[in-house]
Amino acid sequence: MDGFVLALWVLRLGFLALLYAFLAVVARVLVRDLRAAARGPAELGRLVVIESPQGEPAVGATIPLSAVTTLGRGLANSVVVDDPFASAEHAVLTYRGRSWYVEDRGSTNGTLVNGATVGAPAPMGFGDELQVGGVRFRLDRGRP
Amino acid sequence: MTPLARPRAALPALPRLHPRPRNVELALLLLTAAALTVGGASLGATERWLAAQSAGETPASFGFAPPDPRGLAVYLAALLAVHVAFVLAGRRTDQILLPTVGMLGGIGLLLMQRLPQDLVTQSLGAMVLGLGQLQLLWLAISLGVIAILALAVRSDRWLRAYKYTWAAAGITLLAMTFLLGSDVNGARLTLSIGPLSGQPSELLKVILVVFLAAYLSENRALLAVETTRLGPLRLPPVPYLAPMVAMWAIALGVVVVQRDLGAALLFFAVFLSLLFVATGRVSYVAGGLALFLAGSFVLYHLFPYVQGRVDNWLDPFRDPLGQGFQTVQALYAFARGGLVGVGLGAGLPTISGNLPVPAVHTDYPLAALGEELGLMGLLAILGLYLVVVERGLRIAAAARDDFRALLAAGLSLVIGVQALIIAAGNLKLIPLTGITLPLISYGGSSLLANAIAVGLLLALSDEGESPASPGATGGRTRTPRRGRRGLPPRETT
Repeated sequence: MDGFVLALWVLRLGFLALLYAFLAVVARVLVRDLRAAARGPAELGRLVVIESPQGEPAVGATIPLSAVTTLGRGLANSVVVDDPFASAEHAVLTYRGRSWYVEDRGSTNGTLVNGATVGAPAPMGFGDELQVGGVRFRLDRGRP
Repeated sequence: MTPLARPRAALPALPRLHPRPRNVELALLLLTAAALTVGGASLGATERWLAAQSAGETPASFGFAPPDPRGLAVYLAALLAVHVAFVLAGRRTDQILLPTVGMLGGIGLLLMQRLPQDLVTQSLGAMVLGLGQLQLLWLAISLGVIAILALAVRSDRWLRAYKYTWAAAGITLLAMTFLLGSDVNGARLTLSIGPLSGQPSELLKVILVVFLAAYLSENRALLAVETTRLGPLRLPPVPYLAPMVAMWAIALGVVVVQRDLGAALLFFAVFLSLLFVATGRVSYVAGGLALFLAGSFVLYHLFPYVQGRVDNWLDPFRDPLGQGFQTVQALYAFARGGLVGVGLGAGLPTISGNLPVPAVHTDYPLAALGEELGLMGLLAILGLYLVVVERGLRIAAAARDDFRALLAAGLSLVIGVQALIIAAGNLKLIPLTGITLPLISYGGSSLLANAIAVGLLLALSDEGESPASPGATGGRTRTPRRGRRGLPPRETT
């Protein structure tokens, strides 16, 4: 008899405990969901500066990329490359579908991907090296 | 034609399935099933124990089977079936709403199985269904409605484009109730057409949200400017305010004439919250509340019915065996519940064969739950409603346009506000207005209307695939599924 009463107590409190367990799991999922939403949309990619003779942009700087990113010496570019060998409007990086493309905008000294000059819009993978004037970048995955 | 090709051609074209696992939903549903099974076991054991005690027996063991194991199993199986349908359809709908709604419905089912079964009976052919079985039937139908809406609704045009048609249909329903309906407890709420009967005001709340969302999303820019000056008040242009206020006034007027104060309060609260969500102006809410207070004052002096409710709220102990009977008994029930409750099945002893709270299955389920599950249980139940509202607002925040945002916010707020009004009424925080506790109370109209709201919320939560991000494509890739039917899949490169 006492065993039965004890089991009944366990069941009663167990029901309440399971209700709160449900709420706790839901709360965890909700907090994670809200955190993800607060971080904003995932970055499409980022450029990491690996060599910069003039120091602008600085070596080691990471630059988050938007879907269309222009590079050059001109101040209107998304990424201003302050280098004597860079043209005012040098190159443009675009994210189309699921990968990055780089296009030269008629620069004097050309745009290089992994050491090779780019003519028509060329696909770029993560880890590839991009050279604009004397400045070298590496294209990295963005923060998810 | 070769003979081999013929059987293939005879088959109907099956839609291509893209199953998508929904692990969060599955985990939460398993927790729901575990909780409801434990609750059912506690309920069954308590009931048998009390029955044996009142009969003077002391058997050694009572067993822990739920009072209606088959009913509970059918309900859990229905929940699982909806989950499997969602997985197979592969839409990216919200994963939290279904388990939360399932938990609320399951608590309601346990409560209905626990109350005297002859409270409501309906004969279906040769079968006579009791309260618990009827609730199970309606819950199953509601889950079906949720699944169909969540899977089939891909476009919102049919809601958006015909807003005045919806409004007219709603008003017609109400007018028909007024002219042809039957009186229950002095309020004319029930409409019977042939074998079907229901409470149109439940459905009207969904229609009102659809209309307001469509109208406000179209005119919100115009409503946010204040060009009309009325003394110290600055109001939006009258032509754009008029249809909305008219819709609200008609709904409210007919409802007041029908003496359905709960629905009137709910409509007004939803109207104000949607106006605030659309325009972001506190002054409109303040003005609306002032209007509400003035209206309440007038109603109080015009209708003895309203007066009775308010007096009853201020001092139910003045007439504890007449007017204040339900309120007083509900307060006693909450008090008996204490922190963890007396246990499912142990509360509400019948007084000489009668229930102490007559409307316990429709208006006062919270009193019964408060007694049997205590403060902890009540807070958990209110927390479940909070989760529904949070999901609705989250879906609204992620929506791709104003109409979808307002609709999602409105549909979740209508559930949340209704729960708030009836909970506050049960707890004597505000005068009691007879509406149902959404998703828990007994009643087909209420369950169906809330199921429609939840189903639409789920459909709205699928915004199609967001643009692929490089981080997310690391694993598997898939051609994007567009939210709207008819659009071809977008080229990916």
